[in-house]
Amino acid sequence: MTDATAAVPAARKVPAWAEGPISVVFALVVSILGGALIILMVGENPVNVFGTLLRGAFGTPERVAGSLLQATPIITCGVAACIALRAGLFNIGVEGQLYVGAFAAAWIGFGFQLPPVLHAVVGLAAGMVAGALWISIPAIMRARYNANEVVSTILMNYVAVLLTSYLTIVVFKRPGGWSETEPVAATAHLMRLIDGSRVNIGLLIGLVAAVGLHLFLTRSSAGYSVSAMGSNPKFAEYGGVRVKRNIVLVLLASGAVGGLAGGVETLGVHHRFMEGFAPGFGFDGVIAALLANGHPLGVVVVALFFGALRAGSLLMEVETSARREIITVIPAFLILCVSAQFLFRRRGGVSGERRWRF
Amino acid sequence: MTAAPPKDSDLAVELVGITKRFGAFTANRDVSLAVRRGEIHALIGENGAGKTTLMNCLFGMIVPDEGQIRVDGRAATILSPQDAIRLGLGMVHQHFKLVPSLTVAENIFLGMEPTRGGLIDRAAQSARVRDLSRRTGLTVDPDRPVRELSVGIEQRVEILKVLARGARTVILDEPTAVLTPQESRDLFRTLRGFTEAGMSVILITHHLDEVMAASDRVTVLRDGAAIGTEVTAETTEGRLAQMMVGRPVTFGRKARAATGGATVLSLRNVDAHDDRGLQALHDVSFAVRAGEIVAIAGVDGNGQTELAEVISGLRRLSHGQITLSGRDVSGAPADQVRAAGLAHVPADRLVRGVDTRETISANILMGRQHQAPWARGGIIRWGIVREAAKGLIGRFDIRTQGPDAPVKSLSGGNMQKVVLAREFSQEKPFLLVDQPTRGVDIGAMEGIHDEVMRQRAAGVAVLLISVQLDECLRLADRLLVMFNGRIQAEMDPETATLDEIGLQMMGGRTSERAAE
Amino acid sequence: MEILSTIFTVSLVAATLRTTTPILLVALGGSFTTKAGIFNIGLEGQMLVAAFFAVLGSLWSGSAWVGLLCGIGAAVTMAMIFSLLVVTLRATEGGRGRPPNSRPGGRTIALTTASFGVRGSIGNPGIVGLPRLQVPFIHGTRPWGQMLSGYTPLIYAAIVLVFVVWAIQYRTRLGLYIRVTGEKPEAAESLGIRTTRMQHIASVLCGVFAGLAGSHLSLGYITMFAENMSAGRGFMAVAVLIFSNGDPFKVFFGCLLFGFADAVALRLQTVGMSSYLVLMVPYLVSLLALFALSWRQRDKVYRTMRRTLTASPRGT
Repeated sequence: MTDATAAVPAARKVPAWAEGPISVVFALVVSILGGALIILMVGENPVNVFGTLLRGAFGTPERVAGSLLQATPIITCGVAACIALRAGLFNIGVEGQLYVGAFAAAWIGFGFQLPPVLHAVVGLAAGMVAGALWISIPAIMRARYNANEVVSTILMNYVAVLLTSYLTIVVFKRPGGWSETEPVAATAHLMRLIDGSRVNIGLLIGLVAAVGLHLFLTRSSAGYSVSAMGSNPKFAEYGGVRVKRNIVLVLLASGAVGGLAGGVETLGVHHRFMEGFAPGFGFDGVIAALLANGHPLGVVVVALFFGALRAGSLLMEVETSARREIITVIPAFLILCVSAQFLFRRRGGVSGERRWRF
Repeated sequence: MTAAPPKDSDLAVELVGITKRFGAFTANRDVSLAVRRGEIHALIGENGAGKTTLMNCLFGMIVPDEGQIRVDGRAATILSPQDAIRLGLGMVHQHFKLVPSLTVAENIFLGMEPTRGGLIDRAAQSARVRDLSRRTGLTVDPDRPVRELSVGIEQRVEILKVLARGARTVILDEPTAVLTPQESRDLFRTLRGFTEAGMSVILITHHLDEVMAASDRVTVLRDGAAIGTEVTAETTEGRLAQMMVGRPVTFGRKARAATGGATVLSLRNVDAHDDRGLQALHDVSFAVRAGEIVAIAGVDGNGQTELAEVISGLRRLSHGQITLSGRDVSGAPADQVRAAGLAHVPADRLVRGVDTRETISANILMGRQHQAPWARGGIIRWGIVREAAKGLIGRFDIRTQGPDAPVKSLSGGNMQKVVLAREFSQEKPFLLVDQPTRGVDIGAMEGIHDEVMRQRAAGVAVLLISVQLDECLRLADRLLVMFNGRIQAEMDPETATLDEIGLQMMGGRTSERAAE
Repeated sequence: MEILSTIFTVSLVAATLRTTTPILLVALGGSFTTKAGIFNIGLEGQMLVAAFFAVLGSLWSGSAWVGLLCGIGAAVTMAMIFSLLVVTLRATEGGRGRPPNSRPGGRTIALTTASFGVRGSIGNPGIVGLPRLQVPFIHGTRPWGQMLSGYTPLIYAAIVLVFVVWAIQYRTRLGLYIRVTGEKPEAAESLGIRTTRMQHIASVLCGVFAGLAGSHLSLGYITMFAENMSAGRGFMAVAVLIFSNGDPFKVFFGCLLFGFADAVALRLQTVGMSSYLVLMVPYLVSLLALFALSWRQRDKVYRTMRRTLTASPRGT
């Protein structure tokens, strides 16, 4: 119980910068072993299953492209979650912002006629505006009245999914009763990067967003204020950072990037809004951001891994009797392992900190 | 002078050679203390002298590194408060440990509730409280929630809590800090009643008048060591004061050249509320001129925290006006107050003063991340920041590996130097220093005081808030005493005696009010 | 008028009770953690896991009661992982300047978010659902019989448990200690009450209730498991807990409100309202309640934050 006994000095052999990645790799290994155990339990050969998974993710250039395609929205959603996380806030509503952003972009795409490049740009911008609007009420309530943004953004997700379904199926109903909107005009399509694959410049947008966020946080004055706010809000407040205003701005930015991810999906991949088009990209993004501990470049790495898992599991389901759902336990294992490491690696007391605190 | 050594059997509690270290800091050095049965034993010393640490050792909140504790003449092992309670010790903490939503009876019997059929027997509980009240003369309503009680009654509940656990020795940690003079007198009468019934009382305080009024014997602590034990009736306040500070009380005022500049900061009729919504500042008015150090002295918790927050833009004022460098900053947010000319050393460096997870460079930058030359076009120039940090590390003698070391790797004193380095190098016309030497060692303290004087010499208007009276006397050109959220008195640090200041810190029984 | 009379019928009462039960059960569990000072974001996950394992248990054993036990066991396991993260990791996770426990940490959020990743469904005629209890004398007599009889035992249990939870919290030592842990941990510690132990106990109790709630979802009226079948009820429960402060009776009335909103929404569908809009109602009600409460408590929250902040560094 007492801090005095808990403060076991940590033996430090690895350099500080390497600690994070090393622990993630360790966690990865344990989670794959855990996944293997589950696969054994359902009566499959783990080596075979993982082999298929790997082939499915990286086996041919097309499959690599497939992995990148799956990773694209996770990268962008991860960046969205990262923005909030670094300011000490949780935006668990990325999924909802993805949906409203996707719908808004699709609406611009099929409802308006604009010149080629401009059409796509306006569509993406509409997605961002929709995402930002979607988080605006939770953001304001958090800043002004300290309303818990975790719960409010989660609840907003359910509303977003239902609202976009309603818009698709009731308001913008297509003859024949499909659960999708009309196709987006070709002028609004995003440029594809690889022939024969749906990988588009949305991937580059995601990467640029990640690098941009990294530079913003480490280089810019405003970024410094934001990360100070996340690290110690009282200190930031004392130093003249307007914490309440920044809470709103940061959450709006986070929501906008979430909406952007949705816009990229509709304009770049599906060319229409489909009900339930994004199975958990937003949540995967949140997890990626948390596993990367809020580091935007780390998010890219984790998102690529998640993308490969998703792509690989498609082939796995075709070729083995293991169901795709099995693969969803691997991220869960990852979280548990990373958490467990924190359990065993309790930091020693900050020297001198307690001196005058009695 | 000292009374004849008592027999062992007369001693309720005896501490022998207690030493307690926290890292490199020694809070208690070979302290011995003997408390007799039936006496009120005062334990006095300045803030940070080690009184509370010593009592925490006795009460099992912390375990001493060396030394022995004897209770009722037998060696005792006290590893937790529960051990202490079992041995008949009871402690009334300075900050009450009562649960607001529970009733008086529930609080008193918390952890030892009478039960019947697995459920708490509330009737029996209340009856026992009434019985206890009758026996001790401490009347309380057992079924009232604690949150509805006044501070004085809360303390009464704390004392009953201790008595209900069968305490024969009661430790009170600065019990009068929150009481009115009337309540204090009642408290001392109650304590006297205890000792007449054969119990012992240890009274921790730094108010000499209380010691003289209430105690039988007194032990003085200074810098973690016991300086001596006196029989109260045979000593004087002056002698105790000298023992407390270790030198005659007219100690080294910093030499200074007379300066007199324009008014930099002025407060007019400022009111503010604390976090509980109670008024914490009442009609506070004063001014600080360039090249002058104004010190706010007072017992902790008399509105100093709120005053600092109101001035620095971290708390809204409810009434009045604050002007800084000619600009009205009443109710302005912190960044605007800083822009108007504030540099601020906060009282609690770990909460507000530093970001322990960041590097020294990043901590040095705070508050000027938007200003040239630190940043240009919204981009921070880290090269310049690092160079500046290097320079400040040298100038302020911060013991560290370099500007990229995380602040959490520093000792408390060195963390404080990071704060000072950042704020003193701002070159702002007004400097607010709140408890600048809290928790730093004597050597570092000297350096900090010199630095404050240099700021004064450079024409900065300095407002010093400190609970260390000698610090105020040493640095101040003018001394304001705060009590109950008001400026109680203005005094001249050259001529005021410790007694006079102490009197004002206690609310002053004279009727004079501070003049502008 | 005709629409109103179609909506407000005896079966609406029945539907309200049915929809209230899972959220009430899980919120009652959460009331323990709330009282213990833990912000329990894990309710949804615990409920979902319970629903899954209840179906598995029922399928394997052929008994709904074994299914129920499996559900509870799974939820308790989740709850223990959760409390390990929240209580034991608190020291390392809570950033400085942030009151411990009043905000969830990143790891717990991650775990919660992972529960959205649960995919797939189990529907099998072999799943044995919980029996319907037929109250003697009034069963079959309309309208009382329809209103009060013929529910699964968990519905009756949920209402009884409101009182049981109240009695535990306000009349037993355990409940008292849990409340003190949440309200003033330093007071508890100073009297030898182990606050971490109390928080673990509260978490496990919470797991039991979340287990009941989850099992009710998958073995109550529908005997199947579907991904996301808890549909945010755990998060609604969190909203209820935030504004009820965990008081069992307030929790009860809050949940009743949600159940009613849910039931009305379902009825509205039958009169031709779009199901998508109607299904939003409970979420919007939760959001409104959450925001309204934050607005009303704006000063109190700030004050509690400050108090925790100034109190936490002292005493260990």
